[in-house]
Amino acid sequence: MGLTLNHFLVLGALLFCIGLYGALAKRNAIAVLMGIEIMLNAVNVTMVGFSYFSKVKPYSTYLTGQIFAIFIITVAAAEAAVALAMIISIYRKRSTVDVGEINLMKW
Amino acid sequence: MAFYQASWLILLSPLFSFAVIIFGTRMWDLASRPRVAATTTHEEEHGSEGEDHGEHGEGDDEDPKVPRLTTGARISGYVGILIVALACIYSWLLLLNTAGVISIAPALPSGGITVLSYDWLNQGTASYVVSFRIDNLAIAMMVVVTTISLLVQVYSQGYMENSAGYARFFSYLSLFTFSMLVIVFAQNFLVIFVGWELVGLSSYLLIGFWINKQAQPDQDRPAPATAAIQAFITNRVGDVGFIIGIMILFSTTGTFDFLTLSSKTDPHGVVHAFAGNTTLLTVAMILIFCGAIGKSAQLPLTVWLPTAMEGPTPVSALIHAATMVAAGVYMVARTYPLFSAAPVALGVVGWVGGITALYAALTALTQTDFKRVLAFSTISQLGYMFVGLGVAAGTDIGSGAGMFHLFTHAFFKALLFLGAGSVIHSLHHATHEETQDMRKMGGLAKYMPITAITWLVATLTISGFPFFSGFYSKDNIIALAFDQGNYGLYIITLGTAGLTAFYMLRAYILAFGGKGGGFGGLWGGTYRGVGEPHEAPLTITIPLIVLAIASIIAGYWTGFFSYVQPGAPALNIGEVLSNPLTWIGVLVAFIGLGWAYVLYTRFDLATIHDVVENNAVLRFLYQLTLRKFYIDDLYALFIRYVVFGISHIEAAFDTYVVDGIVNGVAGAVTGLGRGVRRVETGKVQSYMIGFFGGIAVLAIVVFALVIFVK
Repeated sequence: MGLTLNHFLVLGALLFCIGLYGALAKRNAIAVLMGIEIMLNAVNVTMVGFSYFSKVKPYSTYLTGQIFAIFIITVAAAEAAVALAMIISIYRKRSTVDVGEINLMKW
Repeated sequence: MAFYQASWLILLSPLFSFAVIIFGTRMWDLASRPRVAATTTHEEEHGSEGEDHGEHGEGDDEDPKVPRLTTGARISGYVGILIVALACIYSWLLLLNTAGVISIAPALPSGGITVLSYDWLNQGTASYVVSFRIDNLAIAMMVVVTTISLLVQVYSQGYMENSAGYARFFSYLSLFTFSMLVIVFAQNFLVIFVGWELVGLSSYLLIGFWINKQAQPDQDRPAPATAAIQAFITNRVGDVGFIIGIMILFSTTGTFDFLTLSSKTDPHGVVHAFAGNTTLLTVAMILIFCGAIGKSAQLPLTVWLPTAMEGPTPVSALIHAATMVAAGVYMVARTYPLFSAAPVALGVVGWVGGITALYAALTALTQTDFKRVLAFSTISQLGYMFVGLGVAAGTDIGSGAGMFHLFTHAFFKALLFLGAGSVIHSLHHATHEETQDMRKMGGLAKYMPITAITWLVATLTISGFPFFSGFYSKDNIIALAFDQGNYGLYIITLGTAGLTAFYMLRAYILAFGGKGGGFGGLWGGTYRGVGEPHEAPLTITIPLIVLAIASIIAGYWTGFFSYVQPGAPALNIGEVLSNPLTWIGVLVAFIGLGWAYVLYTRFDLATIHDVVENNAVLRFLYQLTLRKFYIDDLYALFIRYVVFGISHIEAAFDTYVVDGIVNGVAGAVTGLGRGVRRVETGKVQSYMIGFFGGIAVLAIVVFALVIFVK
């Protein structure tokens, strides 16, 4: 038995859960950022899977899901750059990257 | 016909002079005043406004030290006088023509003609027309208004020259003349009500003319501003009744027009519309009479007229003696057919008038303020007019008797007030303070002979001394009460005539005569004040002389009754003189005059005062009349406990219920926000939990719906 859609979906779901756990539970801002990247890639895996296995005519023909994945990779790269720049800036000001202590927007 | 048609010029000319003074000459007056330190526009404005309202001395707007009048101010006065003089000449021509003395135009149709009419609005079947009409009654009243207005304006030139706001004063006088003429020309209840409120406004403005003047509690004198508010509010009380009465009439008949309402055949006339329901008509007419009660200061709304004397004296003469307060009488005369249809209401008119006449005469006996005596005398004489209207039900004379007394009274009461003003004016120059207390006068006849002689003429006229005009007009009312079998009102009016003679001669002797004067105390005597009074200038004395002549001859217009009331008999002087009732009236008047003469020329004021103070009964009666039978105090108690009580309840309702709801809503929102803002932790992960938790919940809901609902 070869690869089926279900394999892609399970892998995507697992990756997404790992990423979500990382984003919610880690105190380190960089780890949170990594969690977010994992979630994005989980979505990419799901997209590509749907694109490849889709039986609905136009979507399978035009590779929409795969193009979406490439877009997400691009945006994620930019997002990572911005987020890292912010983290560095915060670290310079407050000497910490602990998201539990970064609560300037508190009521 | 054009001669009558153009009489709307009389109506509108005072309004024109008001506009010219307010927008033209008064601006010039203010602009041409010398300024003290005015650099910026703002300060200029402020400075001139302050100047106008008078910054001279401690709260006194009338001061001999006020700078000379500017040209603008003088011109303002001349504009007012010139225009009202033209209106006066025109109305005299109308009067002489309609009375048949001269003939420059054909006779006026018996119902009069409409001179100006404007469809204000039409709503369904009801139409509201602003229209003005003249007939004989209106012309007679018009002559009174314009003549007295002219004389008072001439007089004011002398009287007001030291007062701040000279131009403003003349503009207000013009506004008043216009307002009064609106009442005179009114063709329907709508217009008369507008005029009614306009005279209320001008009366308010003129009573409170000296806005900086303070109250003088030691003399029981309120501040003019307070007096103005009192007059305005008291009149509103009567006007509530007036407007409700008008509404009852309108909702039943569907018209405001006097002629239509009076018609006996028209389906909109009161006779038809109220057929079988005369009780409602009686109620409506009594409510309409409430308006007259307020405006003419009858019981129980007498309180405002004595305090209205705080206004300048020319104003008291014009508004609070001759014209505005007589508007109530004029209104009842104008709607006389309506009152005739409700005899009970007419009875109320007569009795209110009679009781007020007696009350005011009793109160006037002990007043020491020169103008207050005259104020109560005015109230009393207005009471006479209402008696004259009230007892004439079903006679040919109709409203004639009341209107005749209005006509003669206008002249002699204006004369009394202007004479009093002349005294106050000269004492103001002599003593440098405002003196209205008769106990500080006395013996003034030798200082001011013209004022004294004209005042004596007016005193004798109002007392009903034979062959003066008051003799004919007042005696007519008293005789009418007797002829109509109304003996109660006959006794009251007869007694009041005696009281009137007493208090008027008392006032004359206290001011102008006294013990030791010439003519047995009538001419001169001891002057109890300070300084050296002088006779007033010509601008003051000329109106006095003119009015004195008018006071004597006005009674000899024997055709007055048939003039205002077609079909009424003419005044027959020979019959009056041969009627024993007349001589009873004269006897009563002579008793009053004689008693006052003996009391005040043979004894000092101090002696009289001691006798009264040492006798318990006399002291009680003295206090009773001096305090106006405690009516003012009753009002004070009523307002303090009833009106203020209701106000407190309403204030509590506002504080606790209205404000409670508003503040409660605001408080609830604030509290909610205080709790909910805890969600805003500032930690990015707690937001993420909310975000993904929400999605999870949504996912479960969607999943459940897909599985179970299908």
